[in-house]
Amino acid sequence: MQKEEVVRIENLSFSYGGDYEVLRNVNLSIYKGEFLGIIGPNGAGKTTLLRIILGLVSGYKGSVYLFGKNVSQFREWERVGYVPQRLSVEKLHPVSVRELLSSVVRRESDLEFLIEFLHMEELLDKQFVKLSGGQQQLVLLGIALSSKPELLLLDEPTAGLDIHSQEHIMEILKSLSKEEGKTVVMVSHNLGILFPCADRIVAIDREIKYSASPEDSEKLVASIFGLHGNE
Amino acid sequence: MELLGYDFVQRGLLVGVLIAISSALTGVFLILRRLAFLGAGLSHFAFGGIALSILLGVEPFLFTTVLVLLLANGVEFLRRERKIGGDISLAVVFSGGVALAVVLLGISGGFRESLFSYLFGNILIVSSVELYMSIAVFLAVILFLTFYFKSFVLLSFNEDIAKVKGAPVRFLNYLLVSVASLVVMVSIKAVGVLLASSFVVIPSMVGIMLSKSLKGSMLISSLVAVLSTLSGILISLNFDLAPGGSIVMVMILTFLIALVVKKR
Repeated sequence: MQKEEVVRIENLSFSYGGDYEVLRNVNLSIYKGEFLGIIGPNGAGKTTLLRIILGLVSGYKGSVYLFGKNVSQFREWERVGYVPQRLSVEKLHPVSVRELLSSVVRRESDLEFLIEFLHMEELLDKQFVKLSGGQQQLVLLGIALSSKPELLLLDEPTAGLDIHSQEHIMEILKSLSKEEGKTVVMVSHNLGILFPCADRIVAIDREIKYSASPEDSEKLVASIFGLHGNE
Repeated sequence: MELLGYDFVQRGLLVGVLIAISSALTGVFLILRRLAFLGAGLSHFAFGGIALSILLGVEPFLFTTVLVLLLANGVEFLRRERKIGGDISLAVVFSGGVALAVVLLGISGGFRESLFSYLFGNILIVSSVELYMSIAVFLAVILFLTFYFKSFVLLSFNEDIAKVKGAPVRFLNYLLVSVASLVVMVSIKAVGVLLASSFVVIPSMVGIMLSKSLKGSMLISSLVAVLSTLSGILISLNFDLAPGGSIVMVMILTFLIALVVKKR
């Protein structure tokens, strides 16, 4: 049976200005229900790739399709969830977790579902900026999941978190992928937590170096990037 | 207290309260969007606009409001489309407005007193146009928050998340600077060009510092702004002081108290 494409990228190249291309002739398809891990060294274009898929970056060459529609014309953003890398929120921002989540849900019942699903009962009336890194990631995940998206894009969601928080986030992502059939695309440097969850690993360094199963990737990674499994 | 019975005092108090709430609510989002300097930039540009309007013989308030609206949207355009930092554009606008006023002063030489009255404002001398403008701006702020509160929560938090959640980010940014322009223009009436930015910055900052929620910040900001304005006006009446300066001094006092409270 033909696998359903959620994201299709054709001949994608991008430069922030000048001759240096951050991404070079990238071709990639991401399929429904797949847990795709994207790895690569710093400056490899991983974050740029996610931002292009999300329509946050324009001026690229090539084509990007989301659910079969060109991303520049795509309007069904409730089908997509996004957890960005390193939030630069104003340090004094007073917004509470409840206010944040209330601003993205349509119904009170959706808010209750999110709180229960992510076990955020105790965080609700706290200020977002006062939360620990792990708790903040949980809230960002809650925002991403608020519209019950089919596609979830996460940029280093476990960076800077302690082991317990990393495992907690990965458990949730795994359950979303395996039990709820959501398509998960996760950029990470942490191969140790990514490989056990992912169905496929794509390694990029401005261009796609390879696309393989996590098992094969483990062998390839060290030879291409000089990285090690638990880095 | 018998002064409170005078029509011009009551009118001043009403306009003061309207301006205070409009500024405090808008100011919270300006600060969270790192646009706190917008008030200072626009109010100083307005000084040039007012000078020009007096020279041309047109109604200063309405003429300058249109100019400031256009300019604020221009600054936002440069920030978004040309990637020129808002602080850089505003610094140019800030000095440009004052430079324009100084040049026009030199050319005409005949309207110094009327122009200088805008430097420090006077909330106790409110024209009908200014009264209606204050009411309109107050209603505009309430409307824009009623319709777009959720989107502004997200926008103030993270623009990328707001975009992915389908918020009309570009429109909201232009809307915010447009509303801020109107608020700055009415604040000039209250405290003048030199102090107008304090209305959109100080009470809002106190609210942000003292509250653990965004709605709480907006409430505290509004209370601080209203109480500072009313007490500033009463102090000025009782001690024969300039109302604008008195209002801002009270605001600064609340800011200092908030700093102490926050430290605990």
